[in-house]
Amino acid sequence: MKVLLVDDEKKFAMMLSKRLALRGIDVNYVYTGEEALVMAENSRYDVAILDVKMPGIGGIELKRKLSGLAPGMKFIFLTGHGSETDFEIGSAEAAYYLAKPLQIEKLIEILHEVTE
Amino acid sequence: MIDKFRKLLGSLRPEFYHRTAEHLNPYFTFTDYRKIWAIGVFLLAATALVPLIVVTIIHNQLIQKSVDSEIILRTERVASNARRAVTFFLEERLNALRFTVNEIEYDQLTNSDLLAEILRNLKLGFGGLTDLSVIDHTGIQVAYAGPFKLEGKNYSNQIWFVECQKCNFYVSQIFRGYRDLPHIIILAKSFRPDGTFFILRATIETERLIQTLSSYETGAHADIFLTNRSGIIQTSSKHYGKIFEKMTLPVPNFSHRTQTVISTDGQGGSIITGYAFISTQIADTPFILMVIKQKAGMMGAWQELHSKINWFVGLGIMVIILVVTITCTFMVNKLYLADRAKAETMALMEQNNQLASIGQLAAGVAHEINNPLALINETAGYVKDLFVIKEQYRKDEELMENIDYILEAVERCGTITRQLLGFARKFDVKIQKVNLKEVISDVLHFHNKEAEYRNIKIHVDVPEDNLEIETDQGKLQQILLNLVNNVFQAVDNGCWLDIHASHNGPDKVDITISDNGCGMPQENLSKIFEPFFTTKDRGAGTGLGLAITYGLVKKLHGNISVESKEKEGTTFTITLPTLIHEEISEDEGSIGR
Repeated sequence: MKVLLVDDEKKFAMMLSKRLALRGIDVNYVYTGEEALVMAENSRYDVAILDVKMPGIGGIELKRKLSGLAPGMKFIFLTGHGSETDFEIGSAEAAYYLAKPLQIEKLIEILHEVTE
Repeated sequence: MIDKFRKLLGSLRPEFYHRTAEHLNPYFTFTDYRKIWAIGVFLLAATALVPLIVVTIIHNQLIQKSVDSEIILRTERVASNARRAVTFFLEERLNALRFTVNEIEYDQLTNSDLLAEILRNLKLGFGGLTDLSVIDHTGIQVAYAGPFKLEGKNYSNQIWFVECQKCNFYVSQIFRGYRDLPHIIILAKSFRPDGTFFILRATIETERLIQTLSSYETGAHADIFLTNRSGIIQTSSKHYGKIFEKMTLPVPNFSHRTQTVISTDGQGGSIITGYAFISTQIADTPFILMVIKQKAGMMGAWQELHSKINWFVGLGIMVIILVVTITCTFMVNKLYLADRAKAETMALMEQNNQLASIGQLAAGVAHEINNPLALINETAGYVKDLFVIKEQYRKDEELMENIDYILEAVERCGTITRQLLGFARKFDVKIQKVNLKEVISDVLHFHNKEAEYRNIKIHVDVPEDNLEIETDQGKLQQILLNLVNNVFQAVDNGCWLDIHASHNGPDKVDITISDNGCGMPQENLSKIFEPFFTTKDRGAGTGLGLAITYGLVKKLHGNISVESKEKEGTTFTITLPTLIHEEISEDEGSIGR
């Protein structure tokens, strides 16, 4: 399972990817949507974990673009805000929608669930 | 007794009379309703009363004037008629004497038999004569006819004898004289062929004169009498003195004509005096005819009417003042209530705005906290992961424990931010699936601390774990929050609060909130959902909390009812549909009560 993590909160992205890696998940992380698109063009990912609110290309837009690049890619949204609108769009667009702070076990569970 | 009276007075006092809750003051259109009321009453009453009073006064004056002139006219007429009668009475007898002295020689007149014959004829012709006598130029009575023996008497020092030397005719005032009976003497002077004069004297009984006068009398309040020019009463007067005494009124000023004046008598009563100086064509007389009417007596009928009118006007004024006061009180009170309702609403809106701002603030804070929190979470998680994975740390329980503390604390922070976000979300309107158990526990979360402090036992009983309904979560939270707030305000420390939710048929749920607090009296139950009804002290509550709750329940197509027993407790029951198909309009919401 290859996972692409996109979050503008740099340390968060780094830490989370380290934790996922410790659990045997092949994860790459980037800080912007643009970088993510470049990554997705170069290799194939099963799941993308996207922060909803990012400068430049936001999570929702990025998801659409990534879907265009790689159909069949699964998405999990992360948010620090958890507003109603985010939730609505997030639920409609993606398989899962998780609020920060995360529970790592829950994320792992969901990752396994979407790639099954 | 006094307390009861005060209570009654208090209940009569209009709302605006009371002090308004201070927090509402900035929202009132007018500041001083008592002043508005006072100005209103004054202006309305003045508008109604001033014309009424002015017209009444003018009317009274007109009537007074016309009554006065009527009385004056009548008095003058009586005086004029009586004057003519008295003048005629005296003139007639003077003429008779003139005729006698002109026609009959002195020698014949001094013949007693002939004089007696003449007296008899005069008595027959005119009446009122007592005797007749002839006095020569020395003042000796030379002949006499009549009931008294007065022949040979010397009158030379009598006033009338002296007076008669200056003029040809004379009328005396009434006097008693030798015979000690009130009488008038009239004299006619003539000359004998030798040039010496003689006087024919007649005595007139006053009876006839008095009869003539009294025939003009017009009732108890009128007086008619003769006085001489120095004010000595000549014929009896009812009110102004005895005969031959000085009259109690001043002697009027001389006038040739009949006069009428308004003056006061000695006792301060208003009188109308008609008077005439009696003067015949032949001779002047000492008499003044006085016709006096007491105004008070004459105005009796008018006074009665006047007092009736005054009563009526007085009553009218009282009714006007009463109606004006009641109307003003009612209107100002309505105005005040409307203004207060507006002020309450505005205060509430401001409170809502504040709450919304707090909500936004909360959301902002939550968002800002969340990211660092997520980082702490991941970092701590990563540290823990490292420890778990690296053998050497795995056994170190203390390290593990400490890391867990961090994670727990983060989890707690996360709970707080989620709640803050939930609070902010309350202002959005949205129909969604709501888990009742979760909503209830969310709401109670706000009260856990207070319940702990106050030792209030909260028991939540939701038998179905997945009891879900489709509704507006924000509004439902608000409803529950208001009711729970209400309970916390109503119960004493150590009481219990019980919340129960369950299905009521296939498409409805019941939520009951019960307590064993103070309860409330039956008469308050019907009013409890009315806006502005509050049992708290004036100013302590807006009385809107339950009214808003009621409105919210209705908006969710539900029902709310209340049962209560004093000192036993209160139970609110909310019945909500499990599905709402219609859109619920967006509007207010607040925790206020």
